[in-house]
Amino acid sequence: MKRAVAVVGVGQTHHASRRSDVNIPGLIREAVDRALLDAGLDHSDIDAVVLGKAPDMLEGVAQPEQFLVGALGAHLKPMLRVHTAGSVGATTAITAATHVASGLYERVLAVAFEKQSEGNAMWALSPNLPFTPPLVAGAGGFFAPYCRAYITRSKAPLHIGPLTVVNARENASRNEYAHLRERVTIEQVMETPMLWDPIRFGETCPSSDGAIALVLASEDLAKKGPRKPAWIKAGFSLAEAMWVPGRDQVSPRAGAECARLCYERAGITDPWNEIDTAEIYVPFSWFEAMWLENLGFCAEGEGWKAIDRGDTRFDGHLPINPSGGVLCTNPIGASGMIRLGEAALQVMGRAGEHQVEGAKVALGHAYGGGAQYFAMWIVSGEL
Amino acid sequence: MTQLRNVAIVSFAQLPVVARDEHRTAMEMLSPVVQAALAACGASRDDIDYQIAGSTDYMDGRPFGFVAALDAMGSWPPRHDNHFEMDAAFCAYYAWVRMQAGECDTALVVAHGKVSEGEPRRIMNLQLDPYYQAPLGLDPVASAALQASMVMARLQLSDRDLAEVAARNRCAGAKNPDNLVREAASPEQLAATPFVVDPLRAAYLPAIGETASCLVLAAEGKAERMCERPVWIHGAHHISELQSLGARDLSRSESTRLAAQRALAMAGLDRADQADLVELSAATPAEEWIVCEALGLDPRSSTPVLNPSGGPLCAHPIMNTGLIRLGEVFRQLSGQAGERAVPGAERAVAHATQGHCLQTNLVFVLGSQRRWS
Repeated sequence: MKRAVAVVGVGQTHHASRRSDVNIPGLIREAVDRALLDAGLDHSDIDAVVLGKAPDMLEGVAQPEQFLVGALGAHLKPMLRVHTAGSVGATTAITAATHVASGLYERVLAVAFEKQSEGNAMWALSPNLPFTPPLVAGAGGFFAPYCRAYITRSKAPLHIGPLTVVNARENASRNEYAHLRERVTIEQVMETPMLWDPIRFGETCPSSDGAIALVLASEDLAKKGPRKPAWIKAGFSLAEAMWVPGRDQVSPRAGAECARLCYERAGITDPWNEIDTAEIYVPFSWFEAMWLENLGFCAEGEGWKAIDRGDTRFDGHLPINPSGGVLCTNPIGASGMIRLGEAALQVMGRAGEHQVEGAKVALGHAYGGGAQYFAMWIVSGEL
Repeated sequence: MTQLRNVAIVSFAQLPVVARDEHRTAMEMLSPVVQAALAACGASRDDIDYQIAGSTDYMDGRPFGFVAALDAMGSWPPRHDNHFEMDAAFCAYYAWVRMQAGECDTALVVAHGKVSEGEPRRIMNLQLDPYYQAPLGLDPVASAALQASMVMARLQLSDRDLAEVAARNRCAGAKNPDNLVREAASPEQLAATPFVVDPLRAAYLPAIGETASCLVLAAEGKAERMCERPVWIHGAHHISELQSLGARDLSRSESTRLAAQRALAMAGLDRADQADLVELSAATPAEEWIVCEALGLDPRSSTPVLNPSGGPLCAHPIMNTGLIRLGEVFRQLSGQAGERAVPGAERAVAHATQGHCLQTNLVFVLGSQRRWS
C-alpha cells in the first residue's frame, strides 16, 4: 500500500433476533454514533462512506444504501455500496482502507449491517435457479455437504462440531454485544435437532439484527487520535469461480491464497505462533476446523485436533473468536466487518471482558458465496 | 492534493442493447464481452490483476446474482475481486482508487443486468425508503416527472425545450449500432408522443434494455503496451445526496456540481465546457437540463458535443449505462467511434448516476494525453 492506514474507531450495536426498538436507519446510527464517539470524531471529519450488506432481499429494500445516506452521514459525500456475499463486511472494510491508502481520502467510515428480522433469511438465501433442482434450503443446506466431506477426509470425531459451539458460547458470555450468550454443554448441543446432517440446530449461527462501523484514518491522523489505533498490516479480498473441475470446496484455493498474501505482506512466516488471536467466519460449527487448516494455522487434517486439545479456547495457544464469533451473532452483511473490528479491538487492547491478554497481532477473516469469496486483514498494535 | 498516478482505459466491449435477449442468461451475455475486451487489448486473463463487477440482485431477480459473474470473468486461479451493487462506472472509479493506492496495475470492470427478468419500474419503487416513500407507489417515472416539473418551473422551460434535447439525442443515437432505439426524430415528432406521467412524454423516457459491458483499465507503463491510443483518466469524483424527495431541491444537482468541481480540479481544468465532448447518464431531457446546469453547460449549445452516443434516451441498460459512458468516451478519444466520431476530440467528461432523481453522481474527466500540463 502507498501509505499506512489504521482503525481509529469501532462501534457496534447490541445484536438480537429482533431489534424492534429501531428501524434500519436507527440500527445504523447506533453503530455509526458509537464508532465516531470511540474515535473522538464528528461526521464533519469523515471524507467518504462505504456501506456493505448481503442480499437486499433480506430486508426487501433494493439498493438500501440510497435511502440510508442520511443515517450514514453521507449527504454531500462520496458513498459506495459493496456486496460480496457473506464476506461483504470484510471486503467493505478493505475497500474503505484502500480509499485512505490511495491518498485521496484521509478518514473513511466503513459500515455494515443486516436487519434480518425484516424478512426471512432462510428463504432469501434459497435461490431457485433456472435449470437447477431447488435442493438448497438456506445456507446450511448448501454447506452441510462441505462439512460432511471434511469429516470424511479428516476422520474427525463427531464431537468436534458441538465442542466448537461450547467454546464459542463460553466466549460470547463475556461479550456484552453478542446475540447468544448462554453457555452450553456438548450434550445440550447434541440434543438439538439435526437440521442438515451433520449440522444441528445448536451448531448453526443465529439470524441477527445488527450493525458495525469502523473509522479508518491515515497514519498522520491516526497518530493524533485520542486512543491507540490498530494498524492494518495487510488486507486482501480474493474470489474464485464456482464451476471449476477439481475445485476444493473444503479448503478453497482463494482462501489459502488470500491468507498467504496477508502473511507475506505482514511479514508473518509462522501464523500459528506469530498471530495472537483470530476472528474467523464460522457460521456452522465445522467451519472452524476447516478454516484452521485453510488459513495455514494447522496442517491438513489437523484443524480438529487443535480444537480437541483446547488450543483454540479463550485461554489456549491461539484463541479463536474471543467475541463468540458468527456462531453467536450473525447479522449476515455485518458479520465479516465484526470479525475485522473485533480483531482491531484486540490489538488496541480494548476488547473488554473478552480481551486476549497481551494480543499484539490479530487476524480478521470472512468468507461468502459457495465458499468462493474470502476477505481478511491482519492488524497490529505496532505500526 | 496527492500526486495522481496516470491510469487509462485501454479497452471496452459491449453487446448491442436489446429490450430482451430471449436466448441467453446474463452470464452467457457477459462471457463473450469479457473475451472481446481482453482480446482487443491483447491481454490474457492472467495479465489482469484486479476485477470488479457492478450489478444488483433485484434486477437479477435472485440473491447473489453476481456470484455467477465470477465464472464469466474467468476467476480461476482465484482473483483479487470486488462487487458493487451499483452502476459499474462506480466500480471503474474504485479500480482507479486501487491503482492510486498502488494495489493493482490492471483491472477488469464489468457490468451486467438482465432487466427483462423483472419489472424495472416496480423494482425501482423498492429503492425508496420503505416507511414513507415506497408505499406511495412512486416509481422512477413518477419521481422523474416531479423533478421535471420543478426544473421546468424554475428555469421556465417549455415542452419544446425538452423535445429539442430529446431530438438531439435521438439524431445522434441513430448512428450508434449499439443502441436499442436507432430512429432519428424531430422535436415535433417527439412532442407529439403521449404523456406517460405529465410532463414526461413517452419519447422523454430512457430506452430501458439489457446488455453486458466490460472496460479494461491499466496504469501508465502497461497502458501504452496494451493500447495504441489509451484514454487517460485525469480526474474522478462522486457525491451522494439524501434520497428523500422533499429534502433536496430536485431541480438542481448539487452532487453533480461538487463531484465535477473536484474531478475538474484534479484534471487541471476550470470548467466542463473545456471538454470536446460530454457523455451524460441523465435519463430524461429534464435531467439533462439539470446535469448540464450543474456542469456549467448549455444543453442547446453544440460545444462541447453532448451525448454523441445518443445517451440513455436511446439505450439505458441499467447497471451498464454509466460504464457505457466511459466506453463511449474511450471509443471517441481512441478513434473507434465510427460514423458518430467527434472530429478532433481530445478531452471528455463522462457522467454516471444512481438512484431516483439524480441522487448520486459520478464525474470522470478524461483525455487523449496523459496530462495537459
